[in-house]
Amino acid sequence: MALVRIDALHKHFGSNHVLKGIDLDIEEGQVIALIGRSGSGKSTLLRTINGLESFDEGCIEVDGERIHPHETDLRALRQKVGMVFQQFNLFPHLSAGQNVMLATRIVRKMPEAEARELAKAMLLKVGLQDKFDAFPDQLSGGQQQRVAIARALAMQPRVLLCDEITSALDPELVNEVLAVVKDLAAEGMTLIMVTHEMRFAREVGDKLVFMYQGRVHETGDPRDVFANPQTPELAAFIGAIQ
Amino acid sequence: MSYVFDFPAVFEHTDALLAGTGRTLALTAIGAVIGIALGIVGAVCRAWRLAPFDRLFAVYVELIRNTPFLVQLFFIFFGLPAIGVQMNEWQAAILAVIINLGAYSTEIIRAGIEATPKGQIEAAQSLALNRLQTFRHVVLPPALLKVWPALCSQVVIVMLGTSVCSQIAAEELTFAANFIQSRNFRAFETYFIVTAIYFLLAIGIRQLMMQIGRRLIARRP
Repeated sequence: MALVRIDALHKHFGSNHVLKGIDLDIEEGQVIALIGRSGSGKSTLLRTINGLESFDEGCIEVDGERIHPHETDLRALRQKVGMVFQQFNLFPHLSAGQNVMLATRIVRKMPEAEARELAKAMLLKVGLQDKFDAFPDQLSGGQQQRVAIARALAMQPRVLLCDEITSALDPELVNEVLAVVKDLAAEGMTLIMVTHEMRFAREVGDKLVFMYQGRVHETGDPRDVFANPQTPELAAFIGAIQ
Repeated sequence: MSYVFDFPAVFEHTDALLAGTGRTLALTAIGAVIGIALGIVGAVCRAWRLAPFDRLFAVYVELIRNTPFLVQLFFIFFGLPAIGVQMNEWQAAILAVIINLGAYSTEIIRAGIEATPKGQIEAAQSLALNRLQTFRHVVLPPALLKVWPALCSQVVIVMLGTSVCSQIAAEELTFAANFIQSRNFRAFETYFIVTAIYFLLAIGIRQLMMQIGRRLIARRP
């Protein structure tokens, strides 16, 4: 039984049909790399999985939690799905530790001391145990993104969505973030990543999903797909980025 | 110039000066706390377009920002009794200050709320915070921090503006000054001292509020 099931998903932005019937099953522990040109619908697809984008037809199910088109109460779903953003989106008025504690405190109603211990453990996991009291503006981009990962993990999600999480980083900071993601993958975390890090996708990914014009155009094992693209569109895409 | 300064003639009335200063501060403090709270409510109604409150607040803000504080005060103190709303001078002064600051802070805080980056709200949603939790924990504190210097200035302006409450016989600092110089006929010395007190109050309030902003809203040491 797949952890994430996406069935016949359609979405329009006005007259623009951005998702044209997406079917995708993701097993527990899989690392999915979503790739494609800008405008291919990959970020939109990712954002529908935790309800940041609504959809018009079809169905999404995460760990038994089904959502239908134009569902409004998405909090149960969001407790199962964590998300890390390109721009980190840390809360600037809270320290790193408080960022990680916020949702466990007010959504999970965890007691202060317990939430604090959990936050420390999560910061340790991303290698920032000594930055508990640092504010976001005192951290590098890579450190901020690692705090953002810790913040998402504190809610103990079943799936972690990563939306181009290294695209806003200086090149020398990319690896420290990818190393954290690699550790998570090794621990068995289910990851769905929109990424331009093709080398990383090849190394860590279990399944590559190439999106083209609102459809899943080609999928497969990343190593095979990169070596032997079956469609001219994917071949052209791989050619363009290498 | 043969004028002989006599500051001790003012200090004979230190009690009146202190009492007036205390009342000016109390009036400002009550007005600031309730006025800013009113401003937060107004800003939410405006920013979230909560009908019909958004329109009501829009009218209220324009009405207050485009009329003099003294006239607002007179309207409350002298005008409202005609329709059966009686107030003593302090009730009227406090109400006028709250209404005045509420209007200005509605606009100031609204600007802060509307400047919230979309990503902040998405991050809160992705952590399963509901709308109210998102507002309370993610939107409001940075919004207040962003506009805090403007709010501090507005509170100082309001504090200085409370001097007109002497006109309805609320015995605040300016009332004390008028009283003292009518007794000792030392207008220069009296208003010199009172000017200095207002100046120091303004500086002090600004400093205090900046500290409050840093510690309470940003929770920084």
